[in-house]
Amino acid sequence: MSDQTTTERARPEAIKAVPVRHPGRWLAIGVIAVLAAMFIHMLVTNDQFRWSFIFTSYMPGKNGAMFTGPVLEGLRGTILLTITSMAIGVGLGIVIAVMRLSDNPILRGVAFGYTWFFRAVPRLVLAVLFGNLNILYSRIGFGLPFDKQIGQLFGIDNFNGQFYSIKASDLLAGFVAGMLALGLSEAAYMAEIVRAGIQSVDPGQSEAAVALGLSRGQVLRRVVLPQAMRVIVPPTGNEIIAMVKDTSLVAFVPVAGELFFQLTAIKSRTFVVLPVLIAAVLWYLIICSVLMVVQFFVERHFSKGYGAAGKAQQKLAGIAAETGGIPPYAGPRNIGGGGGI
Amino acid sequence: MTDEMVRADNVHKSFGSLEVLKGVDLVVKKGEVSCVLGPSGSGKSTFLRCINHLEKINAGRIFVDGDLIGYRERGGKLHELKEKEVAAQRRSIGMVFQRFNLFPHMTVLDNVMEAPCRVKRENRSEVRDRAVALLDRVGLGAKKENYPGQLSGGQQQRVAIARALAMRPKLMLFDEPTSALDPELVGEVLDVMKDLARDGMTMIVVTHEIGFAREVGDSLIFMDGGVVVEQGPPREVIGNPQQERTKAFLSKVL
Repeated sequence: MSDQTTTERARPEAIKAVPVRHPGRWLAIGVIAVLAAMFIHMLVTNDQFRWSFIFTSYMPGKNGAMFTGPVLEGLRGTILLTITSMAIGVGLGIVIAVMRLSDNPILRGVAFGYTWFFRAVPRLVLAVLFGNLNILYSRIGFGLPFDKQIGQLFGIDNFNGQFYSIKASDLLAGFVAGMLALGLSEAAYMAEIVRAGIQSVDPGQSEAAVALGLSRGQVLRRVVLPQAMRVIVPPTGNEIIAMVKDTSLVAFVPVAGELFFQLTAIKSRTFVVLPVLIAAVLWYLIICSVLMVVQFFVERHFSKGYGAAGKAQQKLAGIAAETGGIPPYAGPRNIGGGGGI
Repeated sequence: MTDEMVRADNVHKSFGSLEVLKGVDLVVKKGEVSCVLGPSGSGKSTFLRCINHLEKINAGRIFVDGDLIGYRERGGKLHELKEKEVAAQRRSIGMVFQRFNLFPHMTVLDNVMEAPCRVKRENRSEVRDRAVALLDRVGLGAKKENYPGQLSGGQQQRVAIARALAMRPKLMLFDEPTSALDPELVGEVLDVMKDLARDGMTMIVVTHEIGFAREVGDSLIFMDGGVVVEQGPPREVIGNPQQERTKAFLSKVL
């Protein structure tokens, strides 16, 4: 059918028009090129940068400031702290988001209170606070709650219902305190991101899943969360990158095994300011660049069935169908006779 | 009692102060296709959603294959069923939605396999064979690796029917299955449903397709204002309606 219409009329000549000129664009490119050249020229010729201090050796017999032992240890600490605190943030964030959307008003209230508290207090303050929490507790352990009060009730002095305990100053100091401060604060933000993600999923989805007999947990894990991820991943990428930078706050806990702390230590030892700061900038740029690449692939994974690729295929299929490339629907076919289902 | 698949006794349902169902009585026999007709807002979709307990009813009883839906009656008192028990009841009731509600992040095949694998924990390769056969049956065997977003509305609805059938239900509920489709795609979905009816599946179909109701339906139920106004064999109800409201409705849609 479509062949007939194309043969009846000759196809007109393809349009070859003179494109519209954009002189403004060329001007902008020129300006940017000059500015970039000036910037690179400054990087190379200004000897205040002291590139050899950063890259090759900051002191006789030592590596460059970026690659010296303690700085690399600090880098490891920064990455570890980012991973652990984000793990706490994401895990707890999902729990709080689900609580926030629960039918139970008490769970909803607790989740709201948590988000309220940890969003209101600055991370810097939390870091210092968690570093000093061992003033409140001498020991931290697992055991019966209110064990002393229960003991007194039965007339036993100093009844100890704790199975296992540890000195608070050992546990709640340094790395763990920093991790908790960042992780608990992050959970409040992640909870809001996850909640937005869950609420973005069409309620018809959980309805269809429930009608198939899936349990509430299965609906969440298999149907709602995977779709919510499309909305959750981009802001979570933001959060992870922000977390890489916020790890520098744990210097106030204090934690020494962290990138910026170690670089600052070199600064105060050598009184060389700018190159040390440049070294820090370069490390943070490298970490965040890696994370952005990871985010790209994660986003692509969770856009299965949606993305531009799916749309393009759909379009192609449509064109193929119009031109007779795909056979039309041939009606239902019965497999293995009647009553087979 | 034994040849009844669905029995609804005086079912009432309110959303807040709005009473949507005002005493619906209905019996659907095994192997029967019942078509529910009525103007929008007449409560027909709500009633369908009550049958698999997507909506909790406020009064009355609904039985599917002899089981009271959503509750247990013990010592003259009704006890709400646990979430798990409700899920178990829903397993044998398939439902097809107006908006298809396929899972967009899974392939067509995974959509069909999800419930048998996760809910019934059946053997994966067996489920796969059955899912492929079901997709062939609805004419979509070639699309099994596609995502729902790559299919037309009619194709998506046929996948949704295959997905419901994969749980081997004894009852299928259709909530306006062709209302969201382009007119040229309605036929392919109705064909699958006719095929299903020929196989003896018990079906309740909320629809505006009078032709389908007349051709395939064993009984036709006309609802308006939250009650069943008239019911009977489709040809009689459509050809010779007894109630004024039925006459008025049919004169507008025929």
